[in-house]
Amino acid sequence: MADLRDQTLAFRLRREWPAYVYLLPVTIVLLFLNAYPIAYTIYISMTDFGTGPKGSLLHYHYVGLANYDYVISHQSSTILQLVGNSFFWAGGCIALFLLVGLGLACVLNQPLRGKTIYRTLILLPWAFPAFITLLVWAGMWDYEYGIINGVLNAIGIHSVDWLLSPDNAWAALFITNVWLSFPFYTVVFLATMQAIPKDLYEAASIDGAGALSQFRRITLPYLRPTIVFVGLMGFLFTFNNFYPIYLLTNGGPGLSTQIFITQSYSDAFGAHGAAPLYSTAAMYSVLDFLIIIVLTVVVIWGADLTRNWLR
Amino acid sequence: MTGVTLQNVTKRFKTETAVDDVSLAIVDGEFVVILGASGSGKSTILRIIAGLEVQTSGHVYIGDMLVDDYEPRDRNLAMVFQSYALYPHLNAYDNIAFGLRVRRVPRADHPRKLRHLTKREVDAKVRSAAQMLGIGEMLRKRPAELSGGQRQRVALARAMVRDPEAFLLDEPLSNLDAKIRSSARIELKRLHARLRQTFIFVTHDQSEAMTLGDRLAILNHGRLLQCDTPERVLSHPANQYVASFVGSPEMVFLEGNVQPAGAGYTFVKDPVRIPIRGAARPGPVTLGVRPWDVRVEKEGSPTALPSRVTGVERLGSSDHLFLELAGPAPASGAAAPAPPALSVRAVTRAYDFNVGDRAFVTFDPDRALFFDAEGARLESMSLATRLP
Amino acid sequence: MRVRPRRRWVRLAKRVASHLVLILACAFALFPIYFIVVTSLSTLPIAAITAHVLVPNPHSLTAASYNTILYHLSPSFLALMTNSLIFAGSAAATGLALAAFTGFALSKFNFPGRRTFVYFILLISLFPGVLLVIPYYFMFNSLGLIDTYLGLIIPYSAGAVVFSGILVKNYMDSIPDDIEEAALVDGLSRTQAFFRVLIPLCYPVLGLAAFLAFLGPYTDFALAHLFITTTNLETLALGIYSINSGDQGTQNYGLVTAFAVVMSLPIVAFYLAFQRYIIGGLTLGAVRG
Repeated sequence: MADLRDQTLAFRLRREWPAYVYLLPVTIVLLFLNAYPIAYTIYISMTDFGTGPKGSLLHYHYVGLANYDYVISHQSSTILQLVGNSFFWAGGCIALFLLVGLGLACVLNQPLRGKTIYRTLILLPWAFPAFITLLVWAGMWDYEYGIINGVLNAIGIHSVDWLLSPDNAWAALFITNVWLSFPFYTVVFLATMQAIPKDLYEAASIDGAGALSQFRRITLPYLRPTIVFVGLMGFLFTFNNFYPIYLLTNGGPGLSTQIFITQSYSDAFGAHGAAPLYSTAAMYSVLDFLIIIVLTVVVIWGADLTRNWLR
Repeated sequence: MTGVTLQNVTKRFKTETAVDDVSLAIVDGEFVVILGASGSGKSTILRIIAGLEVQTSGHVYIGDMLVDDYEPRDRNLAMVFQSYALYPHLNAYDNIAFGLRVRRVPRADHPRKLRHLTKREVDAKVRSAAQMLGIGEMLRKRPAELSGGQRQRVALARAMVRDPEAFLLDEPLSNLDAKIRSSARIELKRLHARLRQTFIFVTHDQSEAMTLGDRLAILNHGRLLQCDTPERVLSHPANQYVASFVGSPEMVFLEGNVQPAGAGYTFVKDPVRIPIRGAARPGPVTLGVRPWDVRVEKEGSPTALPSRVTGVERLGSSDHLFLELAGPAPASGAAAPAPPALSVRAVTRAYDFNVGDRAFVTFDPDRALFFDAEGARLESMSLATRLP
Repeated sequence: MRVRPRRRWVRLAKRVASHLVLILACAFALFPIYFIVVTSLSTLPIAAITAHVLVPNPHSLTAASYNTILYHLSPSFLALMTNSLIFAGSAAATGLALAAFTGFALSKFNFPGRRTFVYFILLISLFPGVLLVIPYYFMFNSLGLIDTYLGLIIPYSAGAVVFSGILVKNYMDSIPDDIEEAALVDGLSRTQAFFRVLIPLCYPVLGLAAFLAFLGPYTDFALAHLFITTTNLETLALGIYSINSGDQGTQNYGLVTAFAVVMSLPIVAFYLAFQRYIIGGLTLGAVRG
């Protein structure tokens, strides 16, 4: 056999080694800022950090899976509610994002006067820091002083107890989060749509395809990789998106809008005047992480649609 | 200004072999065209020479330097890509100057130390190349603002200014309009004559290959089938694939048999029977004739095959005829079924024939070729001049 | 002849409907912003704001809140802004460099272990970030980096790096290999080709990545709240929080919203200036690739 110069691992390494150099910084950063703290959190979730006897904050002990055992046997209904709420929150938001984003992108994709102005204005909420606008939204939903009830009153509708009843609280959360995110989704889909060759549509319209069937037969297939990737990333992000719920309802009323991440945060920082329960908080975030991993693996394996993105 | 030599070069990708044991010596200053259908491995060869791919086995020499382990940038070659691959963010001037600005040359006072070219040196080279190619007026334009032909010239200029060991051209004309393409061909040939540098040019277009190449290297499925001058490739193709791939209109092939006839042998393909000269063995063979070696006459000579004109393609200076051979009339009374029609294409003087005309066909005996069942050329066999 | 007028009506109706939809979307997008701006220009008590926002009274518009924000804050607004810009600017620069290198390596190299690496960084970035704050505190405390610029810049740099890295990778995938190869034949090393050819071609997506990398740290509250105890390191997010949580006894909507407006200005300005790049970066290469 002649020497097979290009088939060996050594050859590939000799040719591709710069990649490792380029990835070294990001690897160090991620190991230091992600991998290590994650491992640390997993460890803490198996200690009595914050839950043990008084003064144990820095003298905690390894307790194995006791924390997990406790919540699963004693608080399984809480866990189930958190799972349900987290999925409802992320799923509902993503469905709305995709619906609003795709719809507006389709409208904006036609030749229309003032398109650029519309696009700029629609994207504007994205440029405002979410943290600030959430504080403002929280005020806007206020029962007594909020502008939203003010507007409703002005057109003759009684005030709604937005953040005080479960159904209305969810509605307020969804509307607020759609406001925060729809600009991004609209522009992503619009940008992708504009890259679809125009002659495809011309050919389809000569074939007698109407607007709806053009959307189904051309637009949707072209957008599919983007929809799947953006949808998946958006779902995972929303699953852990802490600020809207924390700042608007803080999980309330009761536990009705509580999700893993807000529960975890409240425990960790001892919300409602309680003592910080850091090991419990760590456990919730580990459970959250596990759910997300399973979900991601299922999506990536189940649908080869993301292949384009992660290939 | 150096030759390029490939020695038993093989490139295997995961499952298929793209280049199969190719050896090819390209002489300094030569214009070699690598010709093949898509997927024949011709671009892979070019990329291996450039160093953009590394061969699985075999060696590449530039001049007498073994360059197997050289990075592309150390090979000092210039390449023109099919897409031209101009840098979209730079204008034509900066595209051409790009390679010059990164390059370093020995210093006059200190031959061992290197220096960058001065701005003035770069400018002089860019302008002279641009002028030679007639793009001096559009140096400030970005690639997106240039036409296909202009882009192609910018790509050529970018290759020229580098003063490379050899030029590698990967189908540089295939993205041009048909009209510009033929003038671009002539210009390219003129450029080569002027630069007297080694050009290695890849194409799937045989007429492009014929007009440009000092020599053609014909590839199929990664194998080098033949490397020779255009004339020799046309008149002495190594095998049936080369014979059919090169030459337009395509060679006429008649698949028949060699049968013993009296003292000698005859080529038989009903209704055609033509005696053979030279060493022959009975068995299946293919007879190949270039359409322009098919002689068509109005009056029958005793050796001619009677036929009927079924189609005429008028090209102005000449006509392409589609003929159906009738063969010698079968002996009367024999209940033989009518032989299947046999189509032959011929090139004739313009307006000599019309559809439906009777015509008498002879094949130029010195130019007709025989191939065996595997497609290999049977060089010892040729047609006899006379019919018995 | 009978078909034509009907089709014209349909087209007109479609256009009117499109404009209506877009006007509604813009109203939805802009209403809270409008609310913020009008509120910031008044010093009315909360109860009166609603009516004022719905029918603004020109006579009660005042820049008093802005005056307070800009000149009568302690620490001064300028100091807060400077700190925020230092934190977010350094983090964006570092994050951008990391994302560019990551995208380049993942897009243009086929190194052993590439797939595994992509899944690794994706996975690792899925852990709920808010909860990393506590381990960070212990880590940076033991490194003596609490209450320092570096102590916040480091964790901020990693914020958007995985998402941006994948964005850059995807954008680079859509740049034909030809162009990089032309540079290699032209005499460049792969690193030179990266800096001189690929980077300029990636400006849109890099603009987007910079924007994302800047936005997170600029508005971060959780980490800053935990890490910063000295006043001279305080950021804008901490400033608005302390006003909102009512150090002065009652919440002052005028002050909070005026603060929000001024804080948002740099981002809005950046966005308006680089809108084209940002939107170009969002094309995501999904079709071209």
